Formats: sequence, C-alpha cells, structure tokens
Amino acid sequence: MARSNEVNLNECKMVVPLNTWVLISNFKLAYNLLRRPDGTFNRHLAEFLDRKVPANATPVDGVFSFDVLIDRGTSLLTRIYRPVTAEEPLPDVAELEKPVTAEVVPVIIFFHGGSFAHSSANSAIYDTLCRRLVGLCKAVVVSVNYRRAPENRYPCAYDDGWTALKWVNSRPWLQSRKDSKVHIYLAGDSSGGNIVHHVALRAIESGIDVLGNILLNPMFGGEERTESEHNLDGKYFVTLRDRDWYWRAYLPEGEDRDHHACNPFGPNGRSVEGIKFPKSLVVVAGLDLIQDWQLAYVEGLKKAGQEVKLLYMEQATIGFYLLPNNNHFHAVMDEISRFVGSDC
Amino acid sequence: MPLYDSASSSAGSCSGSSSSSKPPPPPLPLQQDIDGLLAVAGYKIRSSELQQVAQRIERLETAMGNSPADFSQLASDAILYNPSDLAAWVDSLLSEFVQPPTCSSEFIPGPVNNGSTTAESHTPPVQQNITYEQRTLDNQLTVVTATEEDSGIRLVHMLMTCAECVQRGDFSLASSLINDMQGLLARVNTVCGIGKVAGHFIDALSRRIFRGIGGGSVGGGGYAFESEILYHHFYEACPYLKFAHFTANQAILEAFDGHDCVHVVDFNLMHGLQWPALIQALALRPGGPPLLRLTGIGPPSPDGRDSLREIGLRLAEWARSVNVRFAFRGVAASRLEDVKPWMLQVNPKEAVAVNSIMQLHRLLGPDPVRNSPIETVLNWIKDLNPKILTVVEQEANHNQPSFLDRFTEALYYYSTMFDSLEACRVQPEKALAEIYIQKEIGNVVSCEGSARVERHEPLAKWRRRLSGAGFRPSPLGSNAFKQASMLLTLFSAEGYSVEESEGCLTLGWHSRPLIAASAWQAVAEAGSSAACVG
Repeated sequence: MARSNEVNLNECKMVVPLNTWVLISNFKLAYNLLRRPDGTFNRHLAEFLDRKVPANATPVDGVFSFDVLIDRGTSLLTRIYRPVTAEEPLPDVAELEKPVTAEVVPVIIFFHGGSFAHSSANSAIYDTLCRRLVGLCKAVVVSVNYRRAPENRYPCAYDDGWTALKWVNSRPWLQSRKDSKVHIYLAGDSSGGNIVHHVALRAIESGIDVLGNILLNPMFGGEERTESEHNLDGKYFVTLRDRDWYWRAYLPEGEDRDHHACNPFGPNGRSVEGIKFPKSLVVVAGLDLIQDWQLAYVEGLKKAGQEVKLLYMEQATIGFYLLPNNNHFHAVMDEISRFVGSDC
Repeated sequence: MPLYDSASSSAGSCSGSSSSSKPPPPPLPLQQDIDGLLAVAGYKIRSSELQQVAQRIERLETAMGNSPADFSQLASDAILYNPSDLAAWVDSLLSEFVQPPTCSSEFIPGPVNNGSTTAESHTPPVQQNITYEQRTLDNQLTVVTATEEDSGIRLVHMLMTCAECVQRGDFSLASSLINDMQGLLARVNTVCGIGKVAGHFIDALSRRIFRGIGGGSVGGGGYAFESEILYHHFYEACPYLKFAHFTANQAILEAFDGHDCVHVVDFNLMHGLQWPALIQALALRPGGPPLLRLTGIGPPSPDGRDSLREIGLRLAEWARSVNVRFAFRGVAASRLEDVKPWMLQVNPKEAVAVNSIMQLHRLLGPDPVRNSPIETVLNWIKDLNPKILTVVEQEANHNQPSFLDRFTEALYYYSTMFDSLEACRVQPEKALAEIYIQKEIGNVVSCEGSARVERHEPLAKWRRRLSGAGFRPSPLGSNAFKQASMLLTLFSAEGYSVEESEGCLTLGWHSRPLIAASAWQAVAEAGSSAACVG
C-alpha cells in the first residue's frame, strides 16, 4: 500500500513545478484535516488556516479593490476590483463606485472555487486571480463571497450568485457607455464553475443578458463512476472520496449525485436547447479526475446547439491557474482575454 | 497631495493596466530567497527549503493514508500556529500527528492545555529576520458601503473637501462647508454606515475649526471617571474588548503554564473586567492555581477615592471564592510614561505577563524623538523579562503625518465600527458605546500635539516596532482562534469575523479588521542578566 503511494507522489511531482506542488499539497493536507467522516466541517480551523488579504483602495499594479455588502440579510459580501484609468490614476476615495468611462467595460462576476466548502472572496489565491483578470480583460471584476457548505447547502450558493448578478446588473456605474447596459460575464473555478452554469440558467429565465460563461475546471459529477475517476483517483492531489464528501455536503440531504446541481445534463438535468444560453469557455485539466464529467458538460452544451469552446490542457493538474509558472496558465489567460475581448 | 499615505514600505502604484499575454513583472525582491509566488498566496517559505518541506509533506501524506479518520479528530484537539510559516507548520503537523500527542484537557472558557513539551515543539523557529513587506497590508482601506444614497456619497465628498480645506488652512471655506453638511445631514440615511458617523465627524471638524487644536476636554492626557463608564458600556455593546481580553488571557494562561508564582501587570485596569476570567482559568488548571499577583495601573481618582484599590478588593474577593491566592497592587499614574518599573515591584522569581489593551499607541508622541516614551517603556518591559507581552491595538492608521490622510482613514474605520454597533440592540449600552467611540473620533480629528493621544497604528507597524525593540512574536494558535470565533457567535451578531494573520488575531466587521491582538516575548540577549530561568 505504501509502495503504490510512493509511486503516485512521485508522478505528481514530475508534472508541476515544485512550488505549485507544495502549495496544492498543503491545501490537500489542510483540507483533509477539515473534513470530518460524519460530514461535518471544521469551519473554525478552516478560517484559521485560510490565507486572506484585505481589500486595497490604493492601486497595486493598476488595480484597486474594495468590499461591498450587497445583502445584509445573508451578509453577502462582494469584493470589487477595478482598473485605474489614464485620466484618474488614483481613485477618489469618496467615489469608489464612480461610473466606468470606457465605451465597453466587461464586468466579470467571479465565483471562487473550493468545492463549495473552502475559500472566500478574500482568500489570497483568489484575490490574486481576480486582480489578474482585471488587467487581462480590461474588466471590472466582482468576486462573490457566497455561502458555503455544509452549513449552507444547495441552493444557497446559487441564490447568492443570483443576488450578485441582479445587483451588478442594476448598478448604473457599471453600465458601458456604448449602450448603457452592464456587459456581464460569469466566471469561476471548481465549484465556482458549477455556480456559473446555474446562475446563467436563472439569468435566462429572468431576462438578464449574460455575454459569456467562463468555467475553469468546473465541478460536476454523477452517480456513475467514469473512466477518468477510476484512472486518476488519488494520483494528482484529488481523490474520489473527497469529491464524494463535498457533494454530500452541498447537495440536499438524501439526494444523490444525479441531482441536477451536480449533473446538469444527467437524468435529472435541464436541457438548454432552444434557449439563449451564453457562449461558454470551458477549461479542462487533463489530469483532473472529474474530466469526464466536464467533457460531458461540453458535449451537453454542443448537443443543445449552444456555442462552447473547450480548452483541454493535457498535462495540467487542478489549480494550475493559481500560479503563473507554467504554460497552461499563460495559454488559458490568453484565451480568456480573447473570449471577453471579442465583444468590444 | 495624494489621498493615501504612501508609506515608505508600500510598493508604489503603477497606473495603467498590465498587458495580457506577457507574464506579470517579477515580485519585489524579497529577503532571504523567499519564494515570491507562494508569498503572494500567503505562505512564507524559502526556495531552498521547498524540497525539504515537500519531503515532509510526503511523509505526512503517507502517515495520513494509514489512518485517515484519526486526523480530523486530532485536528479538532491540536493547537496549530502560524500557517503562513509553511516549514514550521508542516513540522508541527508532523510532530502532532506522527508522534503520539500528549493528553489535552479543555476548560470552558479556558484554553486547550497541551502540556509544555508539545507547546515547545510548536513554537516556530525564530524567523523574525524574514521581514516580508506585505504591500497590501499597508495602506489598506477597505470600504463597506451599506447605503447607496446619493446624499450619503455627497456628504462624504464634502467631508473630504472640508478636511482638505482645514489642512490647507482655508477655514472660511471649511466653516461654510460645515453649515452645508449640517443641512445635508437631515436628508441622509443616518441609520447605518457613512450617514450615521458623518455627524460625529462634522462635529469634530467643527471643533477643530472653531476651538482650535488644544481640543478642550476631548480625551487629552488623563482619563476621567466618566471614561470608565463609557468604556464599560463599550465593553458590553460590542465584542471588541471582550475579544481583546479573551485573546490576551489565552496567551497569558499558556505563558504561565508550569509556573507557581505569576505576576500580571495591567497597563490600564479600568474596572478590571479582564481578570475574573483569568483568575477562574488559573483556578481550574491541572496541578492547581499559582500564586497570582496583579498590578493594575490607572489614573489617580479625582475625588480622593482609591478606585484602583476598590477594584483590587473586588478581584481579591473573587479570587478567594475560587481558591486562588491573590495579591493586588495599584499604581496610580496620569500617564503611562510616568510609571517607573520599580513601582511594579517585580520579583525576579515570578513569571511576569505585561498586558496592554489599547495603551501603547498613547505613548507615540508627536515627535519621533530619541528615548520617546514608547522606546522608554518598551525597554523597561524588556528588562522585566516577561514571559509574555500581550498587545491589543486598534487596527487603523490614525497616526499619519497628513491630517487629510488621518481623517480619511478615520472616516472609514469609524463608519465600519458604527456599522457593527448596529447589531447591538441593548440600550443604554449602545448609546453610551457610541459616545465612547465619538470621543475617540474627536481626539483623532480635532486634537494635535500632546493632546492627541489616539495615535493608532496598524499591526504591520507594531510588528516592526516591537521586533526592532527586541521582542519576537509568540504566535496565537488555532485554539485561541476557534474560541474567539465561538465567543463571537455566543455574544454577537453575524458580520463579525476573526482572522489569523501570521500569528496574530484580528477582529473585524465583515472583511475589515478593526482590532488586532498579538503576543510577544523578549529576545534574550547573550550574556544578559535578565536571562530567564525555567
């Protein structure tokens, strides 16, 4: 048993840079401490361990941020990232919500990952990622601090995403000059990617325009055990066991993984055929054990006649987009930039 | 004049967006070969150590693989420290999980006492040489805007403009702005957020303009009897002081472990609210309580009463009721800098804890002179060779040289604090707590020179100052964090958050930290006569 463990760990170390390996292994270690076999979660320890950063209204590398409470009832916070403009290199402290000035300003609503249980909008790794997206896409980024499982199960995360979408859509200061509308994109990684899909569905039902969905290693699953789950279980930081734990923590009690939240195009799924679903950019890491579900999602969109671009990064593991030290990272960032830029 | 304090340690901003397809510019050159990418993710580790740490992680993973269920259970019981120091963190997990843990016992509301051996091995290696400048920590200005009324925003704009006029010396424009703002105040939502606190800032500015910066009786220099009442209500209405006391007591309790004679020096006794809980925790510790001496510093009573002694007597009664041998001494002083160490009568054989709840900032005088009060006091604290120095301070940058910068920072700090106070429904606690905060605002905004005592500085600055004065951090662990979080859910509304920051704990409202607690130990100097024994 120990011997095959060794082999796994060695393989894993060969495909990622050492600092990435240390970062993700450290998360894995910490997360193992937090998940209890009885399905409860050591939230205090999780918050203690999570490395967070404050918002910063002083621009750093051309980006400043501030936090806004958008729903008092649920304590829903969002962190807003804005680029400084040539005319106003330092934001006026009284008007952090000053109207955007460009003809077209994409507004990316971002949902951080963490398998529905971990991380926050102010986690250091996600603060970094959001700042990067601002420069990359010349966008305003709104990172949503959605409620997490197991304390808050389905549909809380989606409800919070929906609240954020409505809020963003109704901000006059986020409207692009060109058409006085807010140009909204939804983006997220892991559980955040899952939230993107479901919030987009709600948007369509309510007539709010979403211009595009960006799903980075989105978290999907199902009852069936797929080939990739079998082949990659435990090999690259992630185990099937932990995936199952997170779904049990998020889905309503008694539901299985064919619930439509987990398996959107499965037996209980909702078809997106014939509706005005946003174009999607889906990034799949070739060493992610749930890739079969992610690929099935892409297929599901295609079959429904929806526009979708798949980026399959063969040698990438989960979390490759957290550190800018590998080719997958740069390739994906370029694609995201093109995806969002194509409306200007 | 830039709106923000560009402290020398900030990275400086570069305007203009970064290009999309090039990799971002390399991070700041960091001391001692710290991995820059991991640093940005919140972890300090030397590149040269990565391989070693990776191997240790592998060992842990193998050990975990053999008995996974045990680990989450052990995690609930173990005390973990300073997750940013990755190498030390992994080592502590190894020693916790790969060697059998010593037995732990838990008291309510005391800490988990893991026995001195494991506690010792948890102490991270003394890495205070790594002074990584987290550029996002300086100049932080988090805004939680709870109201979006245009009038509210206008009011803020006018406040800023008025403050700018004051800084420039244009008092006629400033006073006409005061009039306009008072008019506008009537139309603003004053229930929460900026609107609520704007009135106090208008008053403070007004006082500064019309009465000058001597400040009248706004908290300059000494304390008053009424201050104690207001403090008590502030204590009741919101969790900041409870958090301060609780966290400091945790650190003191741990530091006193294994000592039979202990002595706490409290820099500001007030009503002694912090001490009953510590006395009780000491009463319940395994092996029995030590002999506890408490020296309480406070202002002389104005009316001839000896209020310090009265508090001392009450605490003595409490100690007697739980069978803790207790002795109290009061030291009356109008200013902390007037206290001389001989007044404390510290016995070389006793374990000393020095406790400063929002007092150190008062020692930061108007001029950064040599042998300034803060230096003098920190030096004699060090000479006492305390087992622990607990420091709690407001997490704000209210001591910047530029008035406008201070004003701006205070506006957002106090509006956040007022917002958090909304959660309190109990009167008259809430109203009196607001007056307490109002006085602080008044001091920050309308006083100068030696009258301005509320010279709050952020944790990053205190870290540098204390390290420079010969102290090293004694990290507050996951048990303190957990119990602080639990305390919050017991006593307070949703919205408060405890965060861990490199061994220190902060309490804030939503994502804005408002108060920071840390613990320190004096670095023993080679050949020093103050070397500690046992």
